[in-house]
Amino acid sequence: MALLAQIVVRTCLGDGESTFRRMMAGAVGARPLDGIDADLVNVGAGYQITGTPAPSATELLLQCLAPMAEHSEGSRPVVIGTGLREVRPIERWAVGEGAVDAGCLDFGKDVTAKLPDLWPVTTISNACSASGHALAIAQDMVDSGEAAAVVAAGVDVVAASMLAMIGRVSQTRTARVRPFDTDRTGVLLGDGAAAALVVADDWTGPVVGRLLATGLSCDAFHETAPSEDGIVRAMRDAHRRGGRAAADVDLIVAHGTGTALNDPVELGAIAEVFGTADAGPLVAAGKGAVGHTSGAAALVSLDLAARTLTGDVPAIAGLVRPIAEATGIRLVRSPLRDATVNLVQVNAFGFGGVNAVTLLERIAS
Amino acid sequence: MIAVTGRSLHVPGLRPGTALLGWVPEPSCEPEDARELLGRKGLLAKEPATVLALCAVHRALGLEPGSGPRRRDEPVDSRTAVVVSSNLGNLATVCAVTRQAYAGRVREVSPLDAPNVSSNVIASSVAIRFGFAGPNLMVCSGETSGSDALAIAARLLRAGRCRRAIVVGVEPRDEVTEAVFTDQLFDGAACVVLEQLEGDYVIGPVTTARRPRVEQADVVLAAGQGGLDLDRQLGATYGARGVVQAVVATQAVASGTAASVQVLDGGPDTGYRMFTVRREPRR
Repeated sequence: MALLAQIVVRTCLGDGESTFRRMMAGAVGARPLDGIDADLVNVGAGYQITGTPAPSATELLLQCLAPMAEHSEGSRPVVIGTGLREVRPIERWAVGEGAVDAGCLDFGKDVTAKLPDLWPVTTISNACSASGHALAIAQDMVDSGEAAAVVAAGVDVVAASMLAMIGRVSQTRTARVRPFDTDRTGVLLGDGAAAALVVADDWTGPVVGRLLATGLSCDAFHETAPSEDGIVRAMRDAHRRGGRAAADVDLIVAHGTGTALNDPVELGAIAEVFGTADAGPLVAAGKGAVGHTSGAAALVSLDLAARTLTGDVPAIAGLVRPIAEATGIRLVRSPLRDATVNLVQVNAFGFGGVNAVTLLERIAS
Repeated sequence: MIAVTGRSLHVPGLRPGTALLGWVPEPSCEPEDARELLGRKGLLAKEPATVLALCAVHRALGLEPGSGPRRRDEPVDSRTAVVVSSNLGNLATVCAVTRQAYAGRVREVSPLDAPNVSSNVIASSVAIRFGFAGPNLMVCSGETSGSDALAIAARLLRAGRCRRAIVVGVEPRDEVTEAVFTDQLFDGAACVVLEQLEGDYVIGPVTTARRPRVEQADVVLAAGQGGLDLDRQLGATYGARGVVQAVVATQAVASGTAASVQVLDGGPDTGYRMFTVRREPRR
């Protein structure tokens, strides 16, 4: 069984420590859209990482990966999950801004050039659950003995084509993400990157927690609409592979995108697996604070999950009036300071019905 | 061991009579004529790369021409995984949507293109059409993407995440992909069906090395390194390469052209991926 040795994240609220501290204080990272004309894409805001110029996906990824190369003793495999890849240069080329080479799309060459000990590099493009899928592959590699340590990473920055699609289907412009709220108006993209070091049981260095399992499933239902059946299968796959019962889960870090479709379907799946007797796990969510970081989202949520093992749990930013499907489900409405959290479930779902559900357990000291 | 239990190569523009390691593939329909193979339903707003992938899967599974998608009331198959490799699959849509937005016409973007801006649309479209509800992965990993997809599929099988894995490699040639990659690009799809059982054609583990290593085999398929380079006949197969190589290698051992074929994929920037396809002696 694998361990999570280290996790490094970068969101619009800073590094993992800063992001969590500001989440506990109720921070919301949404700001007016930068770098892409809001009127062109009909999206007015984003949870972007600022800078002059704004960092590229590759730059954010390399920042998170750099610590993973330490003590790597030769070669340490990396599996990178991304939703949109480094697609901005291609978009800029499409509208006559600069030249392009398709080799920039995946991150392999840049990682190998800058961090040669992190190798071989595999890039998977699995929409909004990409880094959850990367985590599953990394754990399978460690569990099978293929490698003693594997890095799972995730990254995305906002892209014009995806914004245009969000803007195209929006009735009103969304100002902030409001997971599970009756008055939610949709999702906003966030910039984010993360890297997690997955190691075998005999690891002697510091450890964040026990990585019990990541369950995977595909809805095989619809290109963009989620399906409760597919999500339930991923949750049960995680519980079965991790050897834990649903009743053992203390807290869920929900996918919680604040869209019309995701939120009721996700709560329906939670109700199916955990019941609605107000006795199930606490349900938290981070996207109200840091936006939807797409390919990085599963690992950004895993970092939040790891930090809740201390008993601190941030409230769901933007949640005022829960939707009807939340009846009997313990959404975290105000920050908790002394919650008992030993086992956390992380939900990540993506376009195409690709689902990854991870279980992280506290290791008794 | 992992056996190849189905395979196909779907390359509409292949010059008639082209022999790939002695094998002359049957003709393939163009994406716009795909309904002859796939039936009428379920093809609305599908990009050429997705249609090519669906054609390759349909043929690898040996399905009847014209048989349509899974009916909505049929149960899904949660024991079959899908792993697709493509680097350039949806770039035409990404560029078209970006151009529409920058031209001030965001309201004219078709909502039917929404799934196509996400590059995993090919893998999820295969899942939806055939009802494959196991793990679903889209590999966009550059030169080694096809071999990386084979490696991921083998891991899914060994980890007990599926009983069968459908692996597809596909690249589309269009104005955008010719401009951002090469005008000598492959235009087609390849598919292998992998199962963890004792079969006639066995695919060995995908290994990695920083420098190319050629091992003992009857034939070596490789882009460079002295092996037989299929890209000379097919164009730059790029993200489809590893899967195309696996299909041709399996065909060669099935027809008796070779007892074993070693595949060498990758390059100096990414390192190399290697695997061998061999015929399992009858017991």
